[in-house]
Amino acid sequence: MNSPFPKSSSTPGEGLIVARLLSDGATSGLSAITYQYPLKLITPSRPSETRSVLVFLLSYGGGLVGGDVVNLTVDVQAGARLSVVTQGHTKVFKSASPDIITSQTMRVDIAPSAALCLLPDPVQPFEDSVYEQTQIFRLAAGASLCLLDWVTQGRTARGEDWSFVRWEGRNEVWSVGSGEADATGGGRLLMRDAVILDSGHHGNHPQMKSLRESMHAMGVVGTLVLRGPLVKSLGEFFLAEFGALPRLGARDFRSDEAKMKDEEGLSPLQKWRAGRLAMEKESKLLWSAANVRGCVVVKFGAPAVEAARVWIGAMLAREGSILQNFGEHALMCVK
Amino acid sequence: MTNPKNTPEPNPADDELALEIADLERRLAAAKAKASLSLTPPPPISTAANHFLLLLSDSALPLGSFAFSSGLESYLAHHKSGHHPRTTHASFTSFLPLSISSYASTTLPFALAAYRNPSTANLVLLDDTLDATIICTVGRRASIAQGRALLSIWERSLAAALPREKADGLRGFAALLKAATTTSGGGGGGGEDDPPAVSAHLAPLFGAICRLSGLSCEQTAYVFMLGHVKALVSAAVRAGMFGPYQAQKTLAGPVVQGLINAVVAREWETPVEMAGQCVPVMDLWFGRHEVLYSRIFNS
Repeated sequence: MNSPFPKSSSTPGEGLIVARLLSDGATSGLSAITYQYPLKLITPSRPSETRSVLVFLLSYGGGLVGGDVVNLTVDVQAGARLSVVTQGHTKVFKSASPDIITSQTMRVDIAPSAALCLLPDPVQPFEDSVYEQTQIFRLAAGASLCLLDWVTQGRTARGEDWSFVRWEGRNEVWSVGSGEADATGGGRLLMRDAVILDSGHHGNHPQMKSLRESMHAMGVVGTLVLRGPLVKSLGEFFLAEFGALPRLGARDFRSDEAKMKDEEGLSPLQKWRAGRLAMEKESKLLWSAANVRGCVVVKFGAPAVEAARVWIGAMLAREGSILQNFGEHALMCVK
Repeated sequence: MTNPKNTPEPNPADDELALEIADLERRLAAAKAKASLSLTPPPPISTAANHFLLLLSDSALPLGSFAFSSGLESYLAHHKSGHHPRTTHASFTSFLPLSISSYASTTLPFALAAYRNPSTANLVLLDDTLDATIICTVGRRASIAQGRALLSIWERSLAAALPREKADGLRGFAALLKAATTTSGGGGGGGEDDPPAVSAHLAPLFGAICRLSGLSCEQTAYVFMLGHVKALVSAAVRAGMFGPYQAQKTLAGPVVQGLINAVVAREWETPVEMAGQCVPVMDLWFGRHEVLYSRIFNS
């Protein structure tokens, strides 16, 4: 029987994506895309855009069932550009017991002048779920990475509010020599972003805050990591916008008339910024940006998931280089 | 007037005897007390390890900890500005457990790992790994400033008091730091260029120095966490949250002791690869310390 999906590999939960530069020297294509239950990978057969090759990272049944293990290997070969997205939140269903761990591991190699744009929907861990996510990115010299990793409080409609047993997310960026054949080691760790949300973590002393209390009314928290020439301007944009945030605790002594007058003289960027800042204030979104050993790391949190999505989408759209370098389809999860 | 035969006449000689007995008893008691003092000599109060425990836990240890509030100042500013739902009000008692938990889960494993293996190669690896995991500029600055201060104290002051093989324990690391700071200008990472080989973060150096000074691993973990709490409490005093008596009361109270013991137990076997942030909003407060209008602390 002919399946519309690519051929599955033999080991359960294993997947492989190999992106390469096609012989025209300008467009990217896939030389391999294999997967096994519960992982599902789809690439549009007639891509609408050519700036990067697009892959949907999905799972059968629209989520990971307790105990599911996914191991995805991604190889972005020299000069290729790959965009990976999801279709809706990655749901993590409950585990029957706390020692049944649902896990997703992604190992990514990005060759010189190749690029990966990973802008998925957030992970939505359900009540009683146990989830571990590890994403390791090995970047050769001149490789580029845009990575978004965010997690929500769960199904708010069902009253879930950080009600899972455990959620751990680890993102590592390594720099490796371009000629390295050894895939198991070598290179230098440039950045490790690890978040451990453990309901048991906070319960071992009566004065310790519960996981829910320690989230401080945030409904979503996330990290954006940027490194390499294709996202250099985007990283600088985030650092500049962070630097341009109004000083907390400063007072505005201008009269309403003076404010109106000042607004007339604003540049388009300043006007956009004023609107965005109003939105940040309204939605109680907090963010920060820092340069960590050549990676720009943006941290954000907001009470509502959609506010965070609108915010990150607005930042990426305003700067414009993701659209330019990877195409519209790379941004579909942050719209 | 009757004089019963069985009642003896008061005899001045008897009085004298009674006085003499009382006097002898008193002198015996005094002699016994003296004897008991001189018989059991006092136990030695000072062993080298205890001595260094007191030095390394002293607030006067010049690490410049008073300059850092570990996100407390930013936390307060975020709650003053109404940038946050009113359900949680700013208070030291809410911040303290979050800060202890967060500092322990991100940093304590590095101090413990350095204690357990203080070789130069391991210290360099721990220092570089920690440098890669501190994802905010403000936190990195604070950790490096205190780490370098501690290394200077060790080299200039503490090491000389220890036997040669201990005193030389950080020679290799210090040489690498010197080489790294002279070639790269001493930054803690920044541009696209390779980050320096070593930065000298506080946690691994603290673990190694405690080991070289003869402290136990338990003492090391406790003093490391207590140092964090002392810096927080002192920051709270300087920020005007409470006065010095309340500060000492907080430090002495069972809550601080209980929390430290709880997090030390929790992180006792955590490998550094598994260290991570368990209070994500702490990263936001920490990182946003840079956007405060007025600051009295460097973090």
